[in-house]
Amino acid sequence: MDQILNLLASTSGISVTTLILSTLAYSSPLILCALGGLFSERSGVINIGLEGKMLAAACATAFVGAASQNAVVGLSAGIGIAIVLSLLHWILTQVYQIDHIISGMGINALALGGTSLVSKTFVELGGKDAAIFPREIYYLAAWVAAAGIWYLFRSTRPGLRIFAVGNDPDKSRQMGLKPLRIRLQSLLMTGVLTGLAGALIATNAGRFSDEMTSGRGYIALAALILGGWKPWPTLLAALAFGFFGSLQLILQGRDLGGLAVPGEFWQALPYLITLIALAGMLGKNRAPAGLGQP
Amino acid sequence: MRGITKVFGPVVALDQVDLTVESGHIHAIVGENGAGKTTLMRVLYGAHPANEGSIELNGQPVSFRNPEQAIRAGVGMVSQHYAIIPELTCLQNLLLGAEPSLIINQQDAKSRATDLATQMGFQFNWDQQTSELSPGQAQKLEILKLLWRNAKILILDEPTAMLAPEDADLLYAKLHELTQTGATVLVVTHRLPDVMEHCDRVTVLRGGKLITSIPVSQTNPSQLAEQMIGVSVTHHTLTESHPGAPILTAENLTILGDKGQQAVKSASFILHQGELVGIAGVDGNGQRELFHALMGLKPFQGTAVLDGQNLRDLSTQQRIVSGLRLVAEDRHHEAVIESWSIVENTSLGLHRLPNLKKGLGINRDSQLALATAATEQFPTKFDNIRQSFRGLSGGNQQKVVVARALQENPRAILAFQPTRGIDLYVADLVYRELIEATRRGITALVVSFDLDEIMTYCDRILVMNHGILTEVPPELRHDRQAIGRMMVGATP
Repeated sequence: MDQILNLLASTSGISVTTLILSTLAYSSPLILCALGGLFSERSGVINIGLEGKMLAAACATAFVGAASQNAVVGLSAGIGIAIVLSLLHWILTQVYQIDHIISGMGINALALGGTSLVSKTFVELGGKDAAIFPREIYYLAAWVAAAGIWYLFRSTRPGLRIFAVGNDPDKSRQMGLKPLRIRLQSLLMTGVLTGLAGALIATNAGRFSDEMTSGRGYIALAALILGGWKPWPTLLAALAFGFFGSLQLILQGRDLGGLAVPGEFWQALPYLITLIALAGMLGKNRAPAGLGQP
Repeated sequence: MRGITKVFGPVVALDQVDLTVESGHIHAIVGENGAGKTTLMRVLYGAHPANEGSIELNGQPVSFRNPEQAIRAGVGMVSQHYAIIPELTCLQNLLLGAEPSLIINQQDAKSRATDLATQMGFQFNWDQQTSELSPGQAQKLEILKLLWRNAKILILDEPTAMLAPEDADLLYAKLHELTQTGATVLVVTHRLPDVMEHCDRVTVLRGGKLITSIPVSQTNPSQLAEQMIGVSVTHHTLTESHPGAPILTAENLTILGDKGQQAVKSASFILHQGELVGIAGVDGNGQRELFHALMGLKPFQGTAVLDGQNLRDLSTQQRIVSGLRLVAEDRHHEAVIESWSIVENTSLGLHRLPNLKKGLGINRDSQLALATAATEQFPTKFDNIRQSFRGLSGGNQQKVVVARALQENPRAILAFQPTRGIDLYVADLVYRELIEATRRGITALVVSFDLDEIMTYCDRILVMNHGILTEVPPELRHDRQAIGRMMVGATP
């Protein structure tokens, strides 16, 4: 790693500090989003709608933050909308027992259309700077969340129950657990974390633009799968994706010792890495056994 | 429990059943499949609230609307299918649903769990994944789960179904110790020897009605069997076996299981014309993999020859055409398509046989004839032969599945738990038909987890333990204890 960093620093004049900072900036939303997905999937609810929740949260944070000029209100709106979409997912998949993938896709489509409508309706507001929290708070939150989740699943009652319900809802029911309620609580946490992830994306960019999450919800999902649905490995996977993502931002358009690399390659890099990593890990990690079961 | 009635749709599962259980007793509930034994217990345990009737516990009227309330009142049940989640550790399974506090102190919980286990004479590695537990250990864990929840009344549904005979005796010894300390045990079983040997009192159910409830000392197995079935059981003598030429020969079969382990280790056997061979053993010792490999659903090393044809050269379809038949273990997933009709299901898998083919299609007349023959082999209850298979009861479904294997000139029948879910009378009939079929010049191999069934009907007995197949010597053929020892890998 050091060698690569040094090489990069020497060939392109990028400082290691810049690289670390931009890795943090790129990976923190991924970490938050992936950990949000971890809650959902550990409890047995497939969540392909992370992207949509994150996008809606980014939009709400930016527009409400701009309108109110109050960072607390902006962030609350972001988390709030992510929770609402998360609860919608709960109602559709748990109460009405709709296929989890379809519900997730629906939420993504809803968020995409909804946020686009908002940004076209309030064009003027979209040009104003939103009141935001410093992004370092989010970086910290991502790591604290990973530690908290690790502790939750290691030695607490709610953690054990989420784990049990996600593996075998029927047997959990026999043991007196209420999968419906446990999944509701888990999806609430998914809402909070994806909300934070979306707010951070808006914070990083300063304002909202259409489709600004650009598939990072899916990359977070890939990090979750790569991390074997465990908090620390998931964080590491997200960090690795973040590293390649920031590499893209930095290396784009630079001259790498006379090597002409088209900008599109750097843009595609994080997605390419995701694909390769997923293909390599396919089937090696064990998914929660009750994923998608009613 | 007084006047308990439970109705499922049009079916009256329990009809005005009374049950009185004295504390400190081991009380057996016996009856055939569908007699209502499990339903009655599930009513008591709160899993199915009764439509009518009342329950009193220590003189206090109670009504449990869910298992949680029952367990809080000290009533717990171990189902036939254990409620152990394989992905969790032993400790996590023990605690689940009854965690001592919000934040679980691992050390404290472990030492309390160990104390509880020691009291019962059990030993557990609490950090072990429960997927690695043997059925016997899993059952012990289930009992500990009830004790962890302070259950005073323990309901066990077919507790010995998955256990080797020695483990079963051990279990009853422990249950007896528990009753000494004030616990009450209800055992649902169909094994009359267990009842006679270990229980204090026995209640007989038949067709959802209470037949009798008496002390075990005042009855005997044949009286109980008669009360269970409703007619006196006549023990037909079985036709003698005169084994002929080999039909299916297997040499050094090694088969890998789902986790890459050697599920079957170098198994060899010969099935002759005219004999019914049984494989005894506890579930999960390689029986499933063996049948799947013979049928072509799994690759194997070694050689298997059916009537001179190397099985390796034949696809599953070609094996069926050559006369190999499987009565699959899991009816719903492996044997039938429930949305199809009875007619369609009886020709499912047999559709390439010359008799059923008509050009590229199926000969409808012979298809119907086949279905009629299959449904007449055993007394099968249905409204219309073209009705969907889903409408049949489990027992009737099983009858059709077994009958299908007997149609269209089979050469070798592989039957996995062929009597699963059907009552004693028809179970007897199933084995009789299998035996008669072998006497007409074919061969059959049966896997059953019920040792008594195998000892009653099979001409030769093989034992499977951890993938190793051994034959029971002819002189030990009727020695239940010796076969039991072989089932757990000990010397007979």
